[in-house]
Amino acid sequence: MVSPVDAEAPSSRDYFELFQIPVAFDVDVEDLARRFKLLQKQFHPDRFAGNSAAEQRVAAQMSAELNAGYQTLKHEVKRAGYMLQQSGIDLSRLEREPVDGEFLMQQIELREQAEALREQATSPDASVIEQLHQSALALYQSNLAAFRLAIGEGEFEAAGKAWVKMLYLAKLRQELPALGSSGVASWS
Amino acid sequence: MQIAEPGAVEQASDRPRKVGLGIDLGTTNSLIAHFDGQALSVLADDAGRSSLPSVVHYGAAEITVGEAAMARAVEASPDTIASAKRFMGKHRGEVSDEGYIAFAEEGLAFATSRGPVTPVEVSADILRALKQRADYAGFDRIDGVVITVPAYFDDAQRQATRQAAELAGLPVLRLLNEPTAAAVAYGLDSGDEGVIAVYDLGGGTFDISILRLERGVFEVLATGGDSALGGDDFDRLLADYLMQQINTEECSAAQQRGFNALGRRLKEDLTEHSSVTADLSEIMPDGPTLTVDRDTLNALCAPLINRSLDACRRCLADAGIDRVDQVVLVGGSTRMPAVREVVGALFAREPLSDIDPDQVVAMGAARQADLLVGNRGEDDVLLLDVIPLSLGVETYGGLVERIVQRNTTIPVVRAQEFTTARDGQTGLLVHVVQGERERVEDCRSLARFELSGIPPMVAGAARIRVTFQVDADGLLEVSAREESTGQAAQVVVKPSYGLADTAIADMLRAGYENAAADMQARQLTEASVDAEALIAGIAAALETDGELLDPGERGALEAAVTALEEMLSSGDAEAIRGATEQTGRASELFAARRMDRSIQQALAGVSLDSLEQDVGE
Repeated sequence: MVSPVDAEAPSSRDYFELFQIPVAFDVDVEDLARRFKLLQKQFHPDRFAGNSAAEQRVAAQMSAELNAGYQTLKHEVKRAGYMLQQSGIDLSRLEREPVDGEFLMQQIELREQAEALREQATSPDASVIEQLHQSALALYQSNLAAFRLAIGEGEFEAAGKAWVKMLYLAKLRQELPALGSSGVASWS
Repeated sequence: MQIAEPGAVEQASDRPRKVGLGIDLGTTNSLIAHFDGQALSVLADDAGRSSLPSVVHYGAAEITVGEAAMARAVEASPDTIASAKRFMGKHRGEVSDEGYIAFAEEGLAFATSRGPVTPVEVSADILRALKQRADYAGFDRIDGVVITVPAYFDDAQRQATRQAAELAGLPVLRLLNEPTAAAVAYGLDSGDEGVIAVYDLGGGTFDISILRLERGVFEVLATGGDSALGGDDFDRLLADYLMQQINTEECSAAQQRGFNALGRRLKEDLTEHSSVTADLSEIMPDGPTLTVDRDTLNALCAPLINRSLDACRRCLADAGIDRVDQVVLVGGSTRMPAVREVVGALFAREPLSDIDPDQVVAMGAARQADLLVGNRGEDDVLLLDVIPLSLGVETYGGLVERIVQRNTTIPVVRAQEFTTARDGQTGLLVHVVQGERERVEDCRSLARFELSGIPPMVAGAARIRVTFQVDADGLLEVSAREESTGQAAQVVVKPSYGLADTAIADMLRAGYENAAADMQARQLTEASVDAEALIAGIAAALETDGELLDPGERGALEAAVTALEEMLSSGDAEAIRGATEQTGRASELFAARRMDRSIQQALAGVSLDSLEQDVGE
């Protein structure tokens, strides 16, 4: 039996450098996908099926690194966490720190609303669910804006506080009742 | 944009095309297919049959496979084994069916007149029968095969499949998920870009995968399914219905098989006809003739079909997709009008049916096999598959700590740090599990290993890094390391209740006993070919990228190559293999630097490339 301490990606080269894109929070995800696919087409172990075992091992490592880098940079919340980590911020410490009271209240309120919808006997009105998602999204976006501003100015502690809230909200969103097909703007 | 690809294998036009074959090792039927660069074909046996029933008969005199085995099913049932795939990688506690016996530690085997036979051995016999078809088709050698597995197969089931191929003497290039193979069969033909849903209702399992094809890369976005739902269940429901109609609750095993076979036939006939008659006198004396209509079939199967639709909805949500461009159907049961209708309605697309749903998986596998043996073409497609089920380790209170989430693109390497729970704890048991549930007992246990020699410290002070590595086949390797001392332990996860490596080796040896000399000669040839390929590869790489090494590094690599060259003339296969391995390791640094350089080269053209795209669009 083991006790978990902290999840981390294997140490490796910087992901921004891996894909040769500028180190900045705003990433052109389409362009990133293009770079990822171009590199995978070249380095995936399938491309080395006839080569020596040594080359296959190196290819598998490279391919795994490309996968990890792409998944990290593709998602806003993961990308934000990664940038903090690369700046020497301990993410698990941030996650353990209490969030401010106002944010806590907002979260509790959203969760209570979601709970009420689930317990309701009749299936809830689509507009009510959409309203809930909109509230959560607005809250997420204000923290996203705060993160972008702080990380741009090198204020890692402030950026870290905003990141934790983004993380909470991303988790909360998964617990909200599902939207119909006419959903609001998607989060990454 | 033109870049030299380091992995590309040169294909000289005067060299014979290498032979890569695709194998669909199914629960009820198996197939083997070939792609010759132009056309796909399923290889038939000497009687012209393309589909091989996955049934093996272990008679006292001989082992028969397929139709011949089925013909003997009635007379000697314990010796005839069908649906062995359902038992692959399973241990005793997981299987409720009768007719198997304890084997190995927790393993299971079927009791036959020829002694215990494991599911891996049954699968190996089916693979041997498929191999014969390749002989019959005129291939004097097989350079490699791609074998398909249900996307939902866990690590133990994949390992068992690989072992079966090893036993049958087939060189496996890759295990490929069945739905991915089906998408390849269609995707490569159409050259389309877009999102594809593959609905695969096999004999014993149901898989759903959502893939995106874009810029020559097939990316599996999510996969899901139900490993206990298949077309055979539809047959059984119809069989139960027939028995109810004539108030029969119990019948002999032979009669039960008769009912199941009749159920299957009715299901198939109801695809064409809205109503069919069933003559039960075939099964029981003075059995009546009953009429069954399609509505009855649909009503019986509706709960099962709905279960498959639930899995589809979950998969769409996992993929983060709300519309698909194409739907591909796989498996004979998808011919049922009710299935086509509801699947089409769910995805709002008319399902594709140009390729026979029974053959589409083998055909996709054949295309991929052709590519992997080195027959590269212009429109090569790369497959990026995912791991179907989360992987984790046991932690406090029997809870699971997930390390690799399901639907993560493979290959993947992920590490997590753990610590000790007690003061002075010097050993750590790492229990590796697979599944989505929170508690260990609800997940699949894959392996247990112990990291010992941790220096005594207060609880929480040790830093133990557990690394999970999943390769492109979806196979797992786990290692653990105590960071302060470097104490390490490592395990390649093998099904602990399948066949041990030594058991496989013993069986292989037994098979080769009569051909010991041949075997030695073959090993020497293989070892020499590998060594020569490595030497040539390094020489070519030094020619083009030699400046990436400093003189010292280059000298060391060249010394390793020279040592290997000298070893070549020794005639000792084992020694050549060892030297090849050593030289390979010595060349890894060089290989890594060459890859770094080609990243720069590959991406140098991206902005230009996208500009052209924009102008073109």
